[in-house]
Amino acid sequence: MNWSTCLSALAAFIFTGVLAMAGPAEEHFENLVRPLLAQQCQKCHGEKKQQGGLRLDSRQAILKGGDNGPAVVPGEPGSSLLIRAVSHSTELKMPAAKKLPPEQIVALERWVRDGAAWPGDGPPKAAFDSASIAKTLWSLRPVQPGAPPAVKNGAWSKTGLDRFILARLEKEGLAPVSDADRRTLLRRATLDLTGLPPTVDEIRLFLADTGPEAFAKVIDRLLASPRYGERWGRHWLDVARYADTAGDGADYPTPEAYRYRDWVIDAVQSDMPYDRFLREQIAGDLIPGRTGNDYAQGVIATGFLAVGKRYGYAPNPDFQHLDIADVIETVGRSVLGLGLGCARCHDHKYDPVSAADYYALYGIIQSTRIAFPGGEEMKRPVNLAPLVPPAEARRLEGEQALALAAARADLNSLQDERSRLDGSEWAGGPDLAFEGQTVGKAPGKPWLAMGANTVLAEAQSPFRHVHPAGKQGVRMAASQTNDGIRMALPRAVRKQPGGKIHLTIDFRTLAEPKEPGACRFYFGRGVIGSTAIDFSLSARQFAIRQAEGWKVIRTIEPGVWHTLSLALDPDKGSLEGVVGKPGDLAPVVGKILPNWDGVIDTFICDGLGHLPGKVCTHDLDNLGISTRAFGSPGGGPVVPSPVPADAAARLGQVDAQLGPAKKKADDLAARKPFAQAYAVAEGTPANARIQLRGEPDKLGDEVPRRFLEVLGGGKVAEGSGRRDLAQWLTSPANPLTARVMANRIWQWHFGQGLVATASDFGIRGEQPSHPGLLDWLTAQFIRSGWSLKAMHRLIMLSRVYQLGSDPSVDQQANDPGNRLLGHFQRRSLDAETLRDQMLFVAGSLDLTRPGRHPFPPEETWGYTIHNPFYAVYESSHRSLFLMIQRNRRHPYLALFDAADPNLSSAGRLPTITPTQALFLMNSPLVHQQSAAFAKRLLASPGDNLARVRLGMEMTSGHLPDAAGEHEALSFLAQSRQKLPAQATAPDQAEQQAWAALCRVLLISNPAMHLE
Amino acid sequence: MWTDQGATRRQILRSAVMASPLVAGIMQPMLARGSGNAPDALAPHAPHFTPKAKRVIFLFMTGGVSHVDTFDPKPKLTTDVGKEVKFDHPEIKDRPGYERIFLKKPQWAFRPDPKSGLPVSDLFPHVRGCMSDIALIRSMHTDHSNHYNATLGMHTGSFAFTRPSLGAWVSYGLGTENANLPSFVVIAPAQTYAGTQVYASDFLPGAHQGTLVVPGAEPVANVRPALPANRQQAQLRALERLDRRHLGNRDGDPALAARLRSFQTAFGMQMAVPDAFDLTRETDATLALYGMARGQTTGFGWQCLAARRLVERGVRFVELVDTGSSGNWDSHGDMMDHERLAKNVDQPIAGLLRDLKNRGMLDDTLVVWTTEFGRTPFNNTADAKGREHHNWAFSSWLAGAGVRGGTAYGATDEHGMRASEKKVHVHDFHATILHLMGFDHEKLTYRHGGRDYRLTDVRGEVARGVLA
Repeated sequence: MNWSTCLSALAAFIFTGVLAMAGPAEEHFENLVRPLLAQQCQKCHGEKKQQGGLRLDSRQAILKGGDNGPAVVPGEPGSSLLIRAVSHSTELKMPAAKKLPPEQIVALERWVRDGAAWPGDGPPKAAFDSASIAKTLWSLRPVQPGAPPAVKNGAWSKTGLDRFILARLEKEGLAPVSDADRRTLLRRATLDLTGLPPTVDEIRLFLADTGPEAFAKVIDRLLASPRYGERWGRHWLDVARYADTAGDGADYPTPEAYRYRDWVIDAVQSDMPYDRFLREQIAGDLIPGRTGNDYAQGVIATGFLAVGKRYGYAPNPDFQHLDIADVIETVGRSVLGLGLGCARCHDHKYDPVSAADYYALYGIIQSTRIAFPGGEEMKRPVNLAPLVPPAEARRLEGEQALALAAARADLNSLQDERSRLDGSEWAGGPDLAFEGQTVGKAPGKPWLAMGANTVLAEAQSPFRHVHPAGKQGVRMAASQTNDGIRMALPRAVRKQPGGKIHLTIDFRTLAEPKEPGACRFYFGRGVIGSTAIDFSLSARQFAIRQAEGWKVIRTIEPGVWHTLSLALDPDKGSLEGVVGKPGDLAPVVGKILPNWDGVIDTFICDGLGHLPGKVCTHDLDNLGISTRAFGSPGGGPVVPSPVPADAAARLGQVDAQLGPAKKKADDLAARKPFAQAYAVAEGTPANARIQLRGEPDKLGDEVPRRFLEVLGGGKVAEGSGRRDLAQWLTSPANPLTARVMANRIWQWHFGQGLVATASDFGIRGEQPSHPGLLDWLTAQFIRSGWSLKAMHRLIMLSRVYQLGSDPSVDQQANDPGNRLLGHFQRRSLDAETLRDQMLFVAGSLDLTRPGRHPFPPEETWGYTIHNPFYAVYESSHRSLFLMIQRNRRHPYLALFDAADPNLSSAGRLPTITPTQALFLMNSPLVHQQSAAFAKRLLASPGDNLARVRLGMEMTSGHLPDAAGEHEALSFLAQSRQKLPAQATAPDQAEQQAWAALCRVLLISNPAMHLE
Repeated sequence: MWTDQGATRRQILRSAVMASPLVAGIMQPMLARGSGNAPDALAPHAPHFTPKAKRVIFLFMTGGVSHVDTFDPKPKLTTDVGKEVKFDHPEIKDRPGYERIFLKKPQWAFRPDPKSGLPVSDLFPHVRGCMSDIALIRSMHTDHSNHYNATLGMHTGSFAFTRPSLGAWVSYGLGTENANLPSFVVIAPAQTYAGTQVYASDFLPGAHQGTLVVPGAEPVANVRPALPANRQQAQLRALERLDRRHLGNRDGDPALAARLRSFQTAFGMQMAVPDAFDLTRETDATLALYGMARGQTTGFGWQCLAARRLVERGVRFVELVDTGSSGNWDSHGDMMDHERLAKNVDQPIAGLLRDLKNRGMLDDTLVVWTTEFGRTPFNNTADAKGREHHNWAFSSWLAGAGVRGGTAYGATDEHGMRASEKKVHVHDFHATILHLMGFDHEKLTYRHGGRDYRLTDVRGEVARGVLA
């Protein structure tokens, strides 16, 4: 084709294009509708934003519609959502801010009626193509380790690593600074690997060892120290967003979480290969063939998935999508360095992660049972993971249940006997028939009454099949919703395997009431803790509550006594019985309410029945709640057993046995038959459906459980898919996992990663400063068997690690961020190290492992969002063992920028604030530790000068020069003078002066930095 | 905007405070060298355009204030009392005893403010007299009917996840005008729902985190000197000498200098903070405005007056929380409890507005009044005493700088059930506040974890009708 034919072809194309759009419908569209859509609609429904999931920038998108369905039905303006919305004729009014002028609405209607023509429309821009994004993303390319580059100054490098750094510095025309002095290096390495400063003895030994292996020996010594696992375990805990509370509204404690914390410390200490370290945390419970402690450790490791921030109030699915979001986001950030969270609502704009990828992983996590910490509505933890295999757990649970049943049976028979012996108690329990109450008054203990409730002789039920003949019942006058009576049973009734629970009550409504309302009979645990079943009584109706709502069972005749007699079968979750009067008994069948926890210890009658309004006057009598059956309605009268002659003596014996029997039953009930972890277990395997825009009630297509497409996709072999996930994450074919960790290790040594965004290796993350070095390190890491300790040796024996920390003038000018690593980056001690160092030099640091936090016992938990859990526990252990709370953070840890446990943390963001300085100047902690430090120095041999030198060496690793010594000594003298002379004994004055000096040393820059 | 993973030196400088005279000679050259173009976090900087408001006092009523009993009169609710209604409302869904719901009438009479004509209920007689300075928004709505989520949302724009709070964003955007005081102060007698998250800086530099002040003996932690002044000064001098020698050997690392300087600032705070909270020099007339007794050191009047003193001293954002996560406006049991809570805040709030106005400070101070959600216009019986949580509609207001006083913006339907006209979502509310502070809310961003975050997430429209 020559130029002229080309041009004429183009002209023909344009010409036909114009012709094609010349019809009236097209003209109408171009003149009126297209500009209208662009000006009025596409800001929110276009390429950038798709509110309501809707785009209005192509015909295809409009026909596809958004969350509410198609926006336009061509030819049918009346059925077109777009037209209804712009006419403001329904709930959906668009544009929301201002209705369109009438002529524009008419124009849109006409366009739809004429078939919604859209000349030149193709499909909207291809939305998502992970493969093409992946091609442009450096971090997804295979690891390609090259040989360390050639350098001009060959003698400078100690290791291959150094040549990568030097080559780049040489390229930029910069020279590295000289090496750090040996004291600085020892303090650097010791703080780095153990989070504690070197002791004076350790300094002496290192200075004395002039051999070529001296520093290598130091590294080996530090790596063998138990302090190493604590320090480097804490780094991983930042990434794993570890905390000791759940972060739900009431911030429930998670007392078992510490097991995961300790597991991390031990795994790091033992140099568990990092790929296994990850597999254990994703699916340690699923590794076959494990028994005993091996099995337990595998379960504990999966605490990684469980220790996240929670959003729910009860173990139900309402907020589950957010809990799962936390898990997916954490796995993505920590292991892969990818932000997967954005794909919860839409295909990721920048990274190769689609919504389908997200819900593929979602399916895996949703198929996993995650321990529930307790929450506002369900105030006890459930689904903690047993530390014994499932079969063993069932066996132990069975044994425990049998032992508990036996203990409770013993207790029951003692209590029954006591009831018979003690004339003040009646059959069925203490005064369930109101006989012990005062006539004419509201029922008193053990009842609680609100409103107009009166014990009356005329409220006595005529029935005798449950309790012996009595003289009184309770009349509940017409009342408000919240009025009523309540009894907390002294003896809770619990479900037993194979056993039933029997409930009964007599009642009648009085007179023809004006009141339309109904009262409720509640049987359950606590006031609203857990409902077993509710019934409701209005003037003429009797109803039962079922999961789907109230159901009227029968009519009620006013003025006539009725009885309800019921057996619950907890094994089946069903109930059956009768209600009515002898000769007129209607059957009651139904289900126990779904969330009942198996305990009935409370009966309530209040106004929350099936009909609103004032409750009619009614009488109640003869309540019975028992694991043994009562007599049948109309059956033979119950007669009180005769009180035996030796009642008084026997009563004493029974009372003496009751206490121990109760304790035995309570202890058994409180004791778990096996230890548990705040971790996960297999749930019911099921794929998830895509949640449109992240809203769990707007479901799209189902996605099979698999890995990210861009990392191979894959297919779940069995169960939830966690075992597969563990393999995919650590597969050699996945370049991200090893790269991300190699970079983290670098960052934890140098304060800054080769990739500055350690948890973001996506398109928006930073590029590596030394790509060759990162791949070389990654390859070394894999070759070493994913060994952290090998990486420490590799990095710390390099020359780069051993450089001084003062930048040259050139470096300051040309590389102010030290990305090229021409010097070692000085940094402030982090929160944990700062406190640990203070306690360590003061001699007050407790280096034992503290175990679980002193949380209040579980049975006392009643935390709500109104009264959330909050505690700060004093501790002299290392700071990583402080109780880490999510919603109200530990005041010290928050002040000094410890990791925020609400999210996986890529690194600390240290700040320097005057509120920190206030803490350092005035807090009890600093004053106590400086006093202890002073005592320690005063007890050391030698003169004041020796002590000054010792104090400086302990806090900074360095000795003062002559001027520094002089200043310290004169400050001591000055301090002694400033103390009020009369009030202070000489030894106290000495102690206080030294404490002042110690305080200065502890909070000085030499002490507060790692150089 | 800068990132959170950049050069360490800059990052530390950002979080440092203003220079103190003692170390100015060291600091100034370093700031110039080390920071490049990146400004000091708390150094005052200009917003996107000339702002109307230079500072904010944010009054947060915890627990959910009933709109139909305070600022949103609904006569139809009185005439339709007891009428059964049907709504798919989040607070009654699957809730036993709430199968049927009935309209409940307001319990307080509404009267117009003589100047502006805006009606306000008898719960707020003092605030009513200030309505000509107030732009009332009656069409607020929010995403969640749980306290926790709604409170978090009102503070951070995020209803589930931890994010920087409004005050932290303002501090980040504007810095502070007084180096001896934090830029963002929260005065709260108790923690609200969601705890410290409501004033957290989250991924923003820690310097922007709210400093909690609990009314009482030691309002700021550790601000009370642990030693007599002469001994403390001697120690700080010794510390300074030690640090300076260390610094001198190290070619003046700005982070080291910033740490040294922070002690000088803290030393100043030991005086500046008690001074800010020392109300003894206020006149009887001023105390009377706030309804306070002389010597009083707690109560909402004290909080309001302390807030005025803080903004006077250059604090950028002061949040006052009236109660805490219990004993608050959450009147499920009995709406009459609103009376106690309104009485606690009404006169102090009016006093604050008048005091600011008398001093000419209302011209460049924005006062925000809000709660996390409203309360239901219905309940499960017609004579129920309480109201439930209601996120479909509530009322908030703005007063002072840049605000069109005497207006009511937006509306709810006849029963106050849903915001129906000119709806203002929490994101829109935040966008409006930022606008008054001189920010385009879509441009006040911070790069974190590979994403540019902003207070208003991906939403937010400025409610222009409330602007003067």
